[in-house]
Amino acid sequence: MDDTPIFQCNGVGKAFFGVKALDNVDIELRRGRVLGLIGENGAGKSTLMNVIGGFFPQDSGEMFLDGKPYRPEGTLAATKAGIGFIHQELNLFPNLAIAENMFIDDFPKRGPLIDRREMARRTTGVLKALGMDFPPWLKVERLMPGERQMVEIARVLASDARIIIFDEPTTSLTAKETEKLFVLIGQLKEEGRAIVYISHILGDVEKLCDDLVILRDGGITAAGRCGEFCVERMVASMIGRDIGSIYPPKTNKPGGEVALSVKNLSQSGIVSNISLDLKKGEILGIFGLMGSGRTELMRMIFGVDDYESGAVTVDRVPIRRSNPRDAIDKGMAFVTENRRDEGFLQSYPIVDNIGLVYMRDFIHPLTRLVDRKRVAGESVRIAGELKIKYASVDRQAVKSLSGGNQQKVALGKWLVKRPKALILDEPTRGIDVGAKYEVYNIINDLAAGGSGVMVVSSELGELMGIADRIVAMNRGEIIQVFARGEFDEEAIMRAAFRIHEDGMRIGSAS
Amino acid sequence: MSAQIEYKTEAGWRRWLRRILASEFFVLYLTIAYVLCLSPWIPYFWSMGNLTDILSNTWPLLVIAVGQTFVLIIGGIDLSQTSVLAFASIVGAALICTSLEPYIFSKCVMWGWIVAEDGGILAHSTAGFVLAIAIMLGCGMFVGLLNGISVAAFRMPAFMVTLVTMMMFSAVALYLAGSENIMHLPDEFVLLGDSYDLVSVPMFIAIGVTILAHILLRRSLFGMQVYAVGVNPMASRISGVPVRRVIILAFVISGLCAAIGSILYTARFEMGRPTLGATMLMDVVGANVIGGVSLSGGKGKILWAVFGVLFFVILANTLNFLNLSFYTIDLVKGVVIFGAATLDVVRGRIAQAS
Amino acid sequence: MNKLKLFLLNNAAFIIFIVIFVIFGLLSPRFLAYKSLEIIIVNATFIGVIAVGMTFVLLTGGIDLSVGSTMYFSAAVLGYLVNDLGISIWLGMLVCLLVGLLIGALNALMITRIGMVPFIATLISMILARGAGMFITRSVPMDYPESLTTLDAINVFGVIPMPILLFALVVLAASVFLRDTQTGRQLYAIGNDPEGGRRAGLDTRRLTAMTYMICGTCSALGGIVSIAQLGRVNASFGVGNEFDAIAAAVLGGASLFGGIGTVFPGTLLGAVMIQMIQSGLVFTRIDLYLQPIIMAAIIFLAVLVDSIRSSFIKKLQRRNITRQGDAAAGDENADG
Repeated sequence: MDDTPIFQCNGVGKAFFGVKALDNVDIELRRGRVLGLIGENGAGKSTLMNVIGGFFPQDSGEMFLDGKPYRPEGTLAATKAGIGFIHQELNLFPNLAIAENMFIDDFPKRGPLIDRREMARRTTGVLKALGMDFPPWLKVERLMPGERQMVEIARVLASDARIIIFDEPTTSLTAKETEKLFVLIGQLKEEGRAIVYISHILGDVEKLCDDLVILRDGGITAAGRCGEFCVERMVASMIGRDIGSIYPPKTNKPGGEVALSVKNLSQSGIVSNISLDLKKGEILGIFGLMGSGRTELMRMIFGVDDYESGAVTVDRVPIRRSNPRDAIDKGMAFVTENRRDEGFLQSYPIVDNIGLVYMRDFIHPLTRLVDRKRVAGESVRIAGELKIKYASVDRQAVKSLSGGNQQKVALGKWLVKRPKALILDEPTRGIDVGAKYEVYNIINDLAAGGSGVMVVSSELGELMGIADRIVAMNRGEIIQVFARGEFDEEAIMRAAFRIHEDGMRIGSAS
Repeated sequence: MSAQIEYKTEAGWRRWLRRILASEFFVLYLTIAYVLCLSPWIPYFWSMGNLTDILSNTWPLLVIAVGQTFVLIIGGIDLSQTSVLAFASIVGAALICTSLEPYIFSKCVMWGWIVAEDGGILAHSTAGFVLAIAIMLGCGMFVGLLNGISVAAFRMPAFMVTLVTMMMFSAVALYLAGSENIMHLPDEFVLLGDSYDLVSVPMFIAIGVTILAHILLRRSLFGMQVYAVGVNPMASRISGVPVRRVIILAFVISGLCAAIGSILYTARFEMGRPTLGATMLMDVVGANVIGGVSLSGGKGKILWAVFGVLFFVILANTLNFLNLSFYTIDLVKGVVIFGAATLDVVRGRIAQAS
Repeated sequence: MNKLKLFLLNNAAFIIFIVIFVIFGLLSPRFLAYKSLEIIIVNATFIGVIAVGMTFVLLTGGIDLSVGSTMYFSAAVLGYLVNDLGISIWLGMLVCLLVGLLIGALNALMITRIGMVPFIATLISMILARGAGMFITRSVPMDYPESLTTLDAINVFGVIPMPILLFALVVLAASVFLRDTQTGRQLYAIGNDPEGGRRAGLDTRRLTAMTYMICGTCSALGGIVSIAQLGRVNASFGVGNEFDAIAAAVLGGASLFGGIGTVFPGTLLGAVMIQMIQSGLVFTRIDLYLQPIIMAAIIFLAVLVDSIRSSFIKKLQRRNITRQGDAAAGDENADG
């Protein structure tokens, strides 16, 4: 294969409001090669990709496409130049059909009208190549997050882009879908396309990429052939120092008393007959694939969604159905999977977010007014404990914080009082290595202090690192429960995929 | 050297302008600037008579707009406030009027059981008078409750719900009164609209309501919850905010404020009017939006509504003085609001950039 | 069972329509006559045409409060041209439509270029257009030549009343545009997520601007229809019609938050439904004072049923993930 770079960036820089987001960055893309781009959140990965994708121009430096100067005037110009962008934040319109989303900026036409038959034909073709058999006129709102991600990928494939940028494509994919995606990326390589792959999952990067560029604080800290790097070296270059290990040492001791108990919880079509106990001081991992009912189960336990039968108790006190306030009053806390839409009030500062859950406790007994000073004091305390990096607790909108810090705010609002039972749904999704470590620490400390913590995750390695027991779920049922001593990646995976050779099935976990 | 100094002074001037534009008091400054600019042409503006007039127009509108602010912050809109004005006005006036002309009212539905020749059933007693006021407030709260339940429990769009209740209760007011004004209100009631130069009963009521609303919104648990629901109802629900109750209460407050406004207007005009407030909708919502309250929820302050109301009242007042023919008033009004709205956009951009 | 439920729920608007029709028919058999149906549709044309324009604006998540004043201003211009300048009614009507387009363009300018919220921008042009109309008419009622007012009574091909033909053409053009052109589909996209639209490279400004211009033109057209029917325009012409148009579009399923709604059958049904209730109340000779109350109650019910319907559909379409639910895969239909 010819070795001249298809795309080059020379000394590209970009600043926002005087703060340097990118500083003198050089990268080269070659036909048929995958470039891995890693770095902590805020390191400049997204900024760099947005410059290439035409969202905004660079302040300094030059870019070359096929050896010719390249300066896109907008996203459409970038697309026309052959650059395809698969966003981490989905760029689909759920009120439109899959086929319409595929061609939203350039419909196939017959005369002035859109050519539905041609759209259907091409959509079906691309979907088939990805191993999906959805009807092309299915509305995107009916798809699960992972499926939507696949549609987003299909959309870029349908436009024959020569350079394809994947920005965290696997965050909402199941293991199976991820595997499919990797096979596909292999095919794209063979077709001679250049690929940029951005991810926090370093194992994937190691497996998939040919070249590697590591960014920190807007500049390149290391670059080279991927084979020259091991995960430890990647991490060290990303955060600029060595961390002892990925998981903090476990200090919690599960007690004998039950913090949260679920008995025979059922909702037809979603979960059937779920029973489990969470002990005080225990970290219980819930592992299942996307669509296994794990998120739905957590929402029912906390009372966000309704269920048909069953009972939930916290510290032996029954919790009312479909009533989050009751769950909170009885000592439960819940950090949802969808932090952007459900985790916090985006446009409001840290104070309003941290004060939201237990605002009642800040009311002056006589005047019945909220003591803002005490809320602010408490926010500063929690922000300090969780090591949240902020400019101002009462001026700065939470949405301007980095992903990891946002997650800490979403977590922090539950820590005004020590919760008896805390449910965390995908607490480390989309946050960087450093922030992950800190979140694990927080979880560990909470459990060590006597709270029961339930962690839902699709990263098995993470659960094996921090949990005392792991519950494997599949299609709305608990398949098997593993204690820490018997953690075995393969066995847990088999349970979650419901590959039961030995017919062993455990209906309840206790 | 001199060029540098010039540059510096310009920067100082710019910073000053920027600070004004970004200020919370911007709409107030704008109103003051507007008055100052127009003063030479309308000397009468500063006369006691006119100031009294401006203020007496401000108070009831302020109360109503403050109620609307609550609904706007939760991301709703209340179009039915105008119908509450008419509905409460007619019900209250019918209950307490001291006499009615049979030749006008004998065909109306209330005749014979609520009203008769010697007035309403609650006339002629203090207890009845107080009860009548309570019923007027109840009318507003009832409409608010209906709106709130429809929006919160049945998830109907606020715009449609309140549009329908607006149609309905305006029609009920006309139906009850048979399209007639109800006169002969007792002196105690008319007293509620009384004014002695700048000081007036409505002033105390309006300022009281405004301060109360401000404290409720900024300092109480309910206020915090109102903002939270306005920004993100789902995140609020998961955080234990009783979202439905907050939404219903916001609409009830809006209806209640409209009813208080109705009492003030009814007392000032000394009659119950079935068409009261029919043209006020745009002033109420417009004042809030010009003041800076967002129609998409989560953003707004009582103070902003106050400035917005002041702007609208003074605008209307000065337009009457400009010696404009009635057919140019609207044109000038439109241009002024356009100017204010444009400045508001500029202001938003500056706030974002700094 | 679920399929039947889903079918009933999906067609709730149509079913409500039929139910109301039957009830009025039972109360007053004369109502069921072909002629009365024709009158209903003829009378629905004026609000219907405006509601079609409003649907475009609602699709982008906007709102247009200026339609009533646009009707008045463009009608005033038409009257001035035809009565005072003696211009032919056809040229006059063309200019009238252009005036509507211009007010729409003014709205578009304020919203997409200056960056005002649609509520305030269209409130401004509502005041301005009313003022401009007053400036022309001096608020004196205007009469129009017979050649214009008799247009209403023309039957095309001897059978189809002119307004119905016009209404049908507007609905056809608008729904083909929304359903079968690239621009139409992109309107749905930006209405659902303007930021996402920009990211996907769509020209959000141009698309948004277009909807206000269409809405302005439709308002002027609705004004002409109304003039032809009434023959006379006074100072309150069009006041409050913005709410009728919004109500018709929303009854037809359009969302005030953008991205959802159809012209056919949606807005068409909504407009005819409102007119049907009005005519039905007249036919059944209900007390004039009670008519608007009953009207409001029926619309309230319709909106209520629609809300219950959408939450029900959401529940029914919740994915089955347990093994028992394997057979239950949803069936799809593609409509905007």
